[in-house]
Amino acid sequence: MSNNQPNELQRDTATIVISSLFIILAVGSLWDTTHMLDPDSYVFPRAIAIAMIVFSIALIVRHLIKPRKIPEPAQADVSTLRRVSLVAVMLASCLAMPWLGFLIPGIATFLLLMWIAMWDEWTATRLIVYPLVAVAIVLGFYTLFGNILQVPLPLGTLFE
Amino acid sequence: MPGIEHLLAALTPINILLALSGVVAGTVIGSLPGLTATMAVAVLVPITFSMDPTAALIMMGAIYTGAIYGGAYSAILLNTPGTPSAIATTFDGFPMARKGQGDLAITLACIASVTGGLVGATFLLMLAPPLAEIALAFGPVEYFWLAMFGLTLISALSEGNILRGLIGACFGLLLASIGIAEISADVRFTFGSQVLLGGIETVTALIGLYCIPVLIDLVATPDRHLKVTHKPRGFRFLEALGLAWKTKFSLLRSSVVGTIVGILPGAGGSIAGLVAYSEARRTSKNRDNFGKGEPEGVLATESANNATVGGGFIPTLVLGIPGTPPDAVILGALLVQGIRTGPSLFTEKASIVFTFIYGLYLATCLMLPVGLVIGRYAYQTIVTVPKALLVPTVAFMTLIGTYAIRNSISDMMIMVVLGVIGWTLNRFGFSPSPIVLGLILGRIAEQGFVQAWTIGAATGELWKMFFGRPISLVILAFILLSVFYPLIRSRFRKTTGEAGNVE
Repeated sequence: MSNNQPNELQRDTATIVISSLFIILAVGSLWDTTHMLDPDSYVFPRAIAIAMIVFSIALIVRHLIKPRKIPEPAQADVSTLRRVSLVAVMLASCLAMPWLGFLIPGIATFLLLMWIAMWDEWTATRLIVYPLVAVAIVLGFYTLFGNILQVPLPLGTLFE
Repeated sequence: MPGIEHLLAALTPINILLALSGVVAGTVIGSLPGLTATMAVAVLVPITFSMDPTAALIMMGAIYTGAIYGGAYSAILLNTPGTPSAIATTFDGFPMARKGQGDLAITLACIASVTGGLVGATFLLMLAPPLAEIALAFGPVEYFWLAMFGLTLISALSEGNILRGLIGACFGLLLASIGIAEISADVRFTFGSQVLLGGIETVTALIGLYCIPVLIDLVATPDRHLKVTHKPRGFRFLEALGLAWKTKFSLLRSSVVGTIVGILPGAGGSIAGLVAYSEARRTSKNRDNFGKGEPEGVLATESANNATVGGGFIPTLVLGIPGTPPDAVILGALLVQGIRTGPSLFTEKASIVFTFIYGLYLATCLMLPVGLVIGRYAYQTIVTVPKALLVPTVAFMTLIGTYAIRNSISDMMIMVVLGVIGWTLNRFGFSPSPIVLGLILGRIAEQGFVQAWTIGAATGELWKMFFGRPISLVILAFILLSVFYPLIRSRFRKTTGEAGNVE
C-alpha cells in the first residue's frame, strides 16, 4: 500500500491546521480552568494556554505571510497499512491484557508484529526459528520483570 | 584535602567487585527504554541494606553512573533516550548511527561519560560544601525561570522552527498539568476520565513520543534500521579519543555545566545535556553539522549528563536535599543505614563520605571497559538483528517497560496514543523533544510559578518577584539570548551573504 506524503503546499496548510488544533486545545484548557476555584490550580495552566495561543497564532500568521517550504524526504515503497497495523496490534494488546494477562497477549503481539515487520520471504527456517525466538524473548522479559525485578505483571481476570 | 587512606579503603576487592557489578547492572537497566536511572537505583537498593554503609554507597553510585551512561545506547541506536538525561544525545547520536557511525558514537559517549563523571566527582571531592550554597541561592522563581530556559533552549535548537518548538513546549507543559494538581489537589483536564487522574508519567511520554514513531517508520519500509558496515572496525577507541582530544575544551566545559546544573535540585541531566549541547554548538567550528551527526554534540551531552551524578551528590550529601531523583532514593537508603546527611557529614563521617567519593571515581573508571564492551555488543545486535525480530522486540520492551513504571495498563495505551500524536506532529516539523521536556519540567515550572505568584500577590510585589531578583534576571537574559541569538545570527549571515554576493 503506498503512502501519500504531503507535498509542500499541503504541508503548509497542514501547519495552519495543526496550529489551529493547538489553539482549540488551549481554548479547551482555558475553559476547563473556569471550573477551578483555587487560583493555585488555574494560574499556571492559564498562563501556558495563553502562551500557546499566542505562539500558534504567530505561526499561522507567519505561514500566511511567508509560506515556508520544507523539503520532503523521498521515500519509495512505504506501507501505510503496516504502520496502522502496528499501532492497532499494540493497542489491541493493551486492551486484552486485563482479561488475558501479560503473557498471552505479549506472545501474540510479538508474533503479529513479526509478521507485520517481515519484508523478506518467509523461508522454512525462518518459519521455525523466528517464532521460537519470539517465545524465548517474551518469556525472558516476562521472567526479568515479573520474577527478578518483582513487577506485578497482570495475570488476567480469566485466569485468576 | 581528603587523605590517601580513603582511596585505599575504596580499592578493596569487594568494593571493586561491587562497583563493577553496579556499573554493569546500571548500564543494562539504563539502556532499556522505560527503565530509568531512578528505577535502576530503586530496584537494586534493597540489596545494599545488608552491606556496610561505604560499600552500599559505592554500589549505588556505580548503578547510578552506569544507568545514566546506559541511556545513551537506545538514544544512539533507536533514537529513544533510555533515560531523560539522554534526550540531547539523540540529536547527533542517532544521525551518526544512521550514517553507519553508531559504533563510533557509542565509544564517544563512553569516553564523554567517563570524563563527565570524573569532573563531577572531582567537584564533589574538592568543593562540595561551598558549591552546595548555589542550591540554596535558588528560590521558586529561579526554578521557574530555569525550567523556562530549558524549554526555550530546546525550542531554539531546532533552528527555523522556534515557534513550533515553543508550541510543543507549551503542549508538554499542559500535558504535565493533567491529573491532580500538586499544590491545590484540584482535578484538572481529565474530562471525567479515571485513566487520566494519575496524570501522564514522564517516562511513558518519553517512550511513546520517541520510540513509537521510530517503530512506525521502521515497519513501513524494507530498508534496514541502521546502515550496515561489513568491515569489522573494533571499538574505534583511538579514533574517538582523537575526536575527544580535539574538542577537549568543549568536553570540559560541558562537564562543568553538567556538574553545576546537577547541583540544582530537580533540574537534572536533561537540562544539563541541553545547556551543554547548545553551548557546544554555539562555540563549535562545525556548528552547521550539529543535528546531522556531529561527534562533538554526542561528547557534549554525554559528558554533561554524567557530570550531574557528582553534581547531584553535592546538595544531597551537604544539605540533605537530593539533586536528582536517583539521589532521593540514595538519600533514603542512607537514612536506612543510619547516616544523617548535612554539613557535618564531611567531618564526622569523613571516612564514609570520602571513601564513597573515591568509589565513584572507581565506578566511573570501570565504566570505560564495561561501557565499551556492552556498547559494542548492543551495536552489533541492533545492526545485525533482522527487522522482523527488531520491531517486535523493541515494541514489546516499550510495552513492558511502560507498564513497569506504575504497574498500569492505561499507561501503555497512553504511551501508544502519544506515540501516534508524536509521529503525526513530527511529520509537520514539531519535534518531540520540546514536548517531552515540557512534561519533565512542568512540575518544577508550575511549583516555582505558583509559589512566586502567591508570594508576589501577598506582598503586592508581583512584578518584582518575577523580574526583580538578580539570579532570575541572569537566567532571563539567557532565555532572551537563546530565543533571539539564532534569529540575529541568521539575519547577520543573510546580510554578510548578500554583501558577499554583491562583492
